[in-house]
Amino acid sequence: MLELRHISKSFGPTRALADVSLSFQAGEIHGLIGENGAGKSTTIRIVTGLQQPDAGEVWLDGARVSFRDCQDAQTHGIGFVNQELAVLPDASVGENIMIDKLATRRWGVIDWRETYARAAEHMLRVGLVVPPERLVRELSAAQKQLVQIAKALSANVRVLLLDEPTSSLTEHEARRLFGLLRELRGRGVAIIFVSHKLDEVLALCDRVSVLRDGGFVGTREVGMVNSGELARLMLGRTANDDHLGVLSPDTTAEMLKAEGIVRAGRCAGAGFTLHRGEILGFYGLVGSGRTELARIVIGEDQMDAGRLLIRGKPVRPRSIEESLYHHRLGYVTENRKEEGLMLHDSVETNLTMAVWPRLRRPVTRRIDARASAQVADGLIESLGVKTPGRDAAVGNLSGGNQQKVSIGKWLAADCDILIIDEPTVGVDVGAKEQIHRLIWDLAAREQKAVIVISSDLPELVRMANRILVFREQRIVGEVRDIDVRRKTYAEVSAEIAPHLA
Amino acid sequence: MNPLESSREISSLPPLRPTLAGRGWGKRDWVSGRTLGLVAFAGVLMVVMASVSSGFLTELTFFSQSRYVAFYVLVALAQAVCLAAGDLNLAVGAVGSLTTVLLGLLFADAHLSAWIAAPLAFLLGPLTGWLHGWAVTRLKIDAFIVTLSMMFVYMGLRSGISGGNSYTIPASFWWLGQGEIGGWLPWMLIIVLLVLAAVGYLYRNTVLGRRLLATGSNAEAARLSGINTRRMIVTAHMLSGSFSALAAIIWASWSGNAAPETGDSWLVISFAVAIIGGTGLKGSLISPLGILMGAIIFKLIQHSLVILRVNDNYSNTLLGALILLAIIVDRGREQWEKGRR
Repeated sequence: MLELRHISKSFGPTRALADVSLSFQAGEIHGLIGENGAGKSTTIRIVTGLQQPDAGEVWLDGARVSFRDCQDAQTHGIGFVNQELAVLPDASVGENIMIDKLATRRWGVIDWRETYARAAEHMLRVGLVVPPERLVRELSAAQKQLVQIAKALSANVRVLLLDEPTSSLTEHEARRLFGLLRELRGRGVAIIFVSHKLDEVLALCDRVSVLRDGGFVGTREVGMVNSGELARLMLGRTANDDHLGVLSPDTTAEMLKAEGIVRAGRCAGAGFTLHRGEILGFYGLVGSGRTELARIVIGEDQMDAGRLLIRGKPVRPRSIEESLYHHRLGYVTENRKEEGLMLHDSVETNLTMAVWPRLRRPVTRRIDARASAQVADGLIESLGVKTPGRDAAVGNLSGGNQQKVSIGKWLAADCDILIIDEPTVGVDVGAKEQIHRLIWDLAAREQKAVIVISSDLPELVRMANRILVFREQRIVGEVRDIDVRRKTYAEVSAEIAPHLA
Repeated sequence: MNPLESSREISSLPPLRPTLAGRGWGKRDWVSGRTLGLVAFAGVLMVVMASVSSGFLTELTFFSQSRYVAFYVLVALAQAVCLAAGDLNLAVGAVGSLTTVLLGLLFADAHLSAWIAAPLAFLLGPLTGWLHGWAVTRLKIDAFIVTLSMMFVYMGLRSGISGGNSYTIPASFWWLGQGEIGGWLPWMLIIVLLVLAAVGYLYRNTVLGRRLLATGSNAEAARLSGINTRRMIVTAHMLSGSFSALAAIIWASWSGNAAPETGDSWLVISFAVAIIGGTGLKGSLISPLGILMGAIIFKLIQHSLVILRVNDNYSNTLLGALILLAIIVDRGREQWEKGRR
C-alpha cells in the first residue's frame, strides 16, 4: 500500500538514510525500530511530507507520490501521532479534532453545536469519553494522545504513523491504545508503530522493520523473532539481560530516612530508608505517588506531616537550592528536555551549573574557566559522553548522551544522594545499557545512595537491590535482596503482582 | 570499547589547578561569528560614510558621536539584561523619565549637592526594578503586562509631578555628561566602557551572571539545578532599572537640564541596539562587545540619514525596519553556519 523505494537523505555531511526501502500493507501493524540516529525520525518525516528525500521514491496505492508538506500528506490519507503531543492546549477537545474542518454556517460563522457533535463521533471511535467542550490542557497524557488519534482518523486516514506513542502512558493506558490500534487494523488501516520498547513491538505488531545507522537491516514476521534477536539486529550485537551485579550497601549508614510523610492529595503516609551504596527502586504507575514523594524529599513540595532525616539529621528542605547546597542531594528530572537541560547551552555549562559557586576564585570571585573546563572534560571522559567537545550544544547530542549530562551535573556537585526519575525514557537500547551500568557503578564503586524512579520494571530488576512498590499514594510493598538472590524479572513481578491487585 | 570502563573515576573530580587546557565559555561571546560580523558591518558603514561625506572622519565627529554611542549602550543594556534572563522591560524609558524628574526635583527644589542628589535619584532604578521583579515572580504576572502597565504609571507620575516643565541642572554637575579628560576624551565614554567591561565580567565570569543566563536559557532546568530563579528574575529587573536610571542621570548632566520627556524614545532604541548587538531574544545570550557595536551601527545609520537628508519624521519607520533586518540577517547567518557544519 505504502512503499518507500531506495530513499536516501543527507543533512550536510551526515547521511541520515541510505538507500532504504520499506513496504507497509493495509491492515497490518508494522513496527519500526532502531537506536537513536538509526533513521527512524527521518523516515517518518519523509512519509509525512515534513522533509523531501534526496533520492528515491514514495509510492502510495501503486502510484508515485511526492508530498510537498504535511498537509499534502494528510490529504493523501496519511495521519501522524507524534511523541511531543502536538495539540492546542487552550482549545477544546472538539476544536482540536475538527480544527481543519470546523462546521460553519453562512459568512464563515462556526456552528459549534454541529462541530462538537461531529467531534463526539470521532471521539467515540477512539473511546475518548470526555465532553468535547473540555479544554485539552485538562486532559491526561493518554487522553491527549487519543485526541491526536481521533484527529488523524477524522481525516479518513489509511496510513497512521505513531512515534513513541507509549512514552508518556501508563501500562494500562498503553494496553487500551493497543486495543484501539488492533481495531483500526481490522478496518484496513496501515499502522506504522515507531518504538524503543521491544516487548511492546513484539506484543502489538505483525511485522517489524529494523533500521541501523541510516540503513535498512531487515523486516521480520513477529512470530518468527524474539526480543533478543531484534536487539541484535538493532545493535549489531546481543543485549544483556543479567543482573548487573551484587551491591554491597552499608546498612549502618542511613543516608536518607523518611517517616510517615503526608501531603494532601499527593502522598498518604510514606516511609523508607536509603543506605549508602544502595540502589532503591521506586516502582509504580504514573500518579501512584513515587514522584510525588521524591518531590517532597528534594524540597520542591512541602510536607504536611512526617519526618525526614538526611544523614541522620532531621531536615525540612524548602527548596532544591537548599537540598543541593546543604544536603548534597541531587535530583535528575524525568523531563530532560524541558526541565533537566539547557539545550542551547554547551555541555560544559550544563555539567558545571550546579558547582559554579565552588569554582569561584578567592579574590576576584570569578568562575575559574580552566577549572570549569577540567570538571567538564573529566566528566565527559568518565561518563563516556559522546560529544564533539565540551563547547557543543547539549541539544545536538543523542538522548542517551543528554541523560549522561543530566546525571553528570549532580556528580560534579559531589552529591552522594541521587534521585533519578525515569532515567531511560526516550533513550535507545544501547544507551540504556550504558546508563544502567553508569548508575549501578555509582552505587557499587562510589558508594552513592541512589533512588531510581521507574515504571520500567525490568530496568529496576537489573539495577536495584531493593524495590518499593507504590500505589495510590502509598508504599504498598517491598521486594528485597534482588541482587543477592539473583531474582529474575518473572520472580519480582510475581512478588509485586498481589500488591497491585 | 565500553566508555564506562573508566567510571570508577566518576566523582573524583580533577584537581582545581589551572592548566593551559581549555578557555571555558568565553568563546561564544567575544570571537563569535555574530560579533565579528557586527564589527565588519560597522567598518563597512564607516568606510562608505567617510567616502560620501568629507567631514565624517574628523576628530570632532568621533568625539561628539561617541557620547551618543555611550548613551545608547546604557539604554540597550537596560533592555539586554532583561532579555538575557528571558524577560523584557517595556518601562525602560519611563523609569529613565521618572528618574530625570526626581533628579530635577532634588536639584531644583531640595537644593541638594550633586553627590547626594544623583545617587538618590539613581536608587529609583533598582527600586522600580525590584518592584517589577517582585510582581513578575510573586504575583506571577507576565513581565510584558507588568512593565507595560508600570510604564504608564511612571509616565503619568512624571507628567503630574513636573507639569511638563524642565528642571535646570546646576553647572557643577555638568562634568559627568559634558566633561572631557585632557580636553578630548569624554568622561561619559570612559564610564560606559567601564560599565560594559563590568557587564562582560559579570556574565562571563561570575556565578551570578552565569545563573542569570541559565535562567534565561531554561528557567525550569535552572530551578531544578538548584538556582533560585525568582531571585535571578528580580536581579535582572533591578539591573535593568539601574541602567535606565544611570542613562537618565548622564543624559541630564549632558543636556544640562532635566526634561520630563527624556526617555520617550528609549524603548525602540533599547530593543534596536540590544537586538542588533546580538542579545538572545529568548534569553541566555548577551554580548557587551556586540552591544557596543550595535550602538555604533545604530549611530552610524542615524548619522547617514542626516547626511542623506532623509526627513527626520521617518526615522522611526527606519528604526523598526532595522530591527527586523537585524533579526533576518542573524537568522540567515545561523542557517549558513548550520549548512557549513
